[in-house]
Amino acid sequence: MTLRQTQGHIERSRNMKIKVIFLFFIFFYLAIIVRLFFLQVIISPTYKDSPYLKTTKINSVRGRIFDRNNQPLVLNQNSYQLHLEPKKINDKDRLIHLLSDSLEVPEASISGRIDMSKDWLAIQGGLTQEQKDNINKLNLKSVGFDYQTKRFYPEASLSAHLLGFLGKNDQSEDVGYLGLEGFYDRDLKGLPGFVETERDILGRPILIGVQQRVEPENGRDLILTVDKTVQEISKKKLLEGLELYKAKKGCVITADPKTMAILALVCLPDYDLEKYYLFSEDYYKNSAISDLFEPGSIFKPLIMAAGLEEKKIKPNDAYNETGQISVGEYNIKTWNDKYEGKISMTRILEKSSNVGMVYIGEKLGNKKIYDYLEKYGFGKNTDIDLQGEVSGYLKPQANWYPIDYSTVTFGQGIAITSIQMIRAFASIINGGYLMRPYLVQKIVSGNKVTEIKPRIERKIIASLTSEIIKKMLISTVENAEAKWDRPKGYKIGGKTGTAQIPIKGHYDPTKTIASFIGFAPASDPKFLTLVVLYEPKTSPWGSETAAPLFFEIAKQLIVYYNISPSQ
Amino acid sequence: MKNILLRATGLMIFVLIIINLFVFISGIVLSDQISNFETKTDNLRKINLSLEKEVANLGSLKFATEQAKKLGFNRLSLPQSLGQLGYAYMPVKNDPSTNSGSY
Repeated sequence: MTLRQTQGHIERSRNMKIKVIFLFFIFFYLAIIVRLFFLQVIISPTYKDSPYLKTTKINSVRGRIFDRNNQPLVLNQNSYQLHLEPKKINDKDRLIHLLSDSLEVPEASISGRIDMSKDWLAIQGGLTQEQKDNINKLNLKSVGFDYQTKRFYPEASLSAHLLGFLGKNDQSEDVGYLGLEGFYDRDLKGLPGFVETERDILGRPILIGVQQRVEPENGRDLILTVDKTVQEISKKKLLEGLELYKAKKGCVITADPKTMAILALVCLPDYDLEKYYLFSEDYYKNSAISDLFEPGSIFKPLIMAAGLEEKKIKPNDAYNETGQISVGEYNIKTWNDKYEGKISMTRILEKSSNVGMVYIGEKLGNKKIYDYLEKYGFGKNTDIDLQGEVSGYLKPQANWYPIDYSTVTFGQGIAITSIQMIRAFASIINGGYLMRPYLVQKIVSGNKVTEIKPRIERKIIASLTSEIIKKMLISTVENAEAKWDRPKGYKIGGKTGTAQIPIKGHYDPTKTIASFIGFAPASDPKFLTLVVLYEPKTSPWGSETAAPLFFEIAKQLIVYYNISPSQ
Repeated sequence: MKNILLRATGLMIFVLIIINLFVFISGIVLSDQISNFETKTDNLRKINLSLEKEVANLGSLKFATEQAKKLGFNRLSLPQSLGQLGYAYMPVKNDPSTNSGSY
């Protein structure tokens, strides 16, 4: 082999090596490009799985609830959920013992929740900062905490039925149940936001990485029409009344009759809002909007107003009350079976004469009676802004028997809710306007305030009729069969009611629903209050139970509202 | 010419490395600050909620009732109204016109 041949061979060999290395690099870079294309284009949607990319949900803060004077009724407070990582537990028995002491929960209860096969377990929520600090001092490696907020009620259960409570749904998300929490859940809840950041191994954000933040929209605050002082007075007096008259349960609703803005709504027994889960579901029901009852004599002014409006009667018209009257196979009598002969329409209300009311019903006519029941809104929801309202049932007119038209004039044979009753009654003393009852007057979202105005549903009676019926109701209080300890110097209008409770198609004579509905001052009513007591034991009569309770509340409200005497 | 180009390239690479280091360190410092501010903001939010709770408690009817009991406010310690002026009225002895006052 010549030198030239040898040199040519070496050069070819070198060229070949360079080509191989070149091809290797080309292949290497191609592989990188393909891999990058694969990572960035083809599987890019799954980049969220990156261990460096952290997406954190920012929970919105639930809206707060204030009374009409901006006094808080529901706020949020710091809370912690204790969780365990079972695989890090060294001494299970010691852990259970320590947690049981700190959380004041039985050991068996904690032991039952620990599943050693799980990586993570939620043990208990609602822990305070103090509880958390105490557990942290125990230096337990397997224990951790998640921050949460929970509802805080500065006035405790002052307005339990009205507010409702915050529970969990099947996905462990906060959901408002019943009352305002239920009705305004979407407004209170707000919208959660999130932060998506690429972070280094120490958890610090990588600035040139993905950074995305969507701010949460916090829940809206509710400003109520309710006055917590009126609420306190109502609850305190109702509790005293239930104990004094040994009633099964009771409700007090106070509203501004001109607007039907609810000033107080209390039903007892109620429940502890913070520990609602310890109570049976029966306690959650707000009787004022969810329980139907036969109103009895407090219904009479509504029929009387209809008769006056239709000009079928006048306040001084005479009716000859001679004795019991028969409607078909039924006999109707007065509550004490006593009859006064010739009496005026006003006197019919004063002595709460059932037979007198049947006379007015006959003058009014069946069709008009039914029309007015519909006009007053019975059988339909009032659309009050509370979750859990029932409408009752006004059966079609075709299904009414003659006795139904007679009994309905004195409030028997019709089932309504307390809120329907107070709304209808407000319409006859406020100039004739049927209003939608409401509890929220303002919804606050940041700097934006949405005001909720009173809403007129319809006009039922003329202003003149309203003035006449008001005077009749003042006279009813002043000349009633029972005498009450009324606030001196004040004109107060109202009507007592005692209704028997229907059980299996018959009325139980031993069980009644006693009620009183009244307003003050009569010339320009500042408040209208309905008191309903279920099954009082000391006396079955509204005049001896609900009425005195009403006047006790009225006395305090007159002082609170600084109403001057008019007499 | 070739030397100048080589030196310029070297210098440029050196400057880029310095800038890169500066950006990297600044990034870490800023990241630390962000983490600190996040923690501080969270703490402030928690403190704010605690204070809101305390203020609400102090303004609650529940607290007022407790304080009233503690301080002994009851019906016996109600202020005297105008109807009981006798307490503030000291009659002059031997003056028959003042003897009718009740106190």
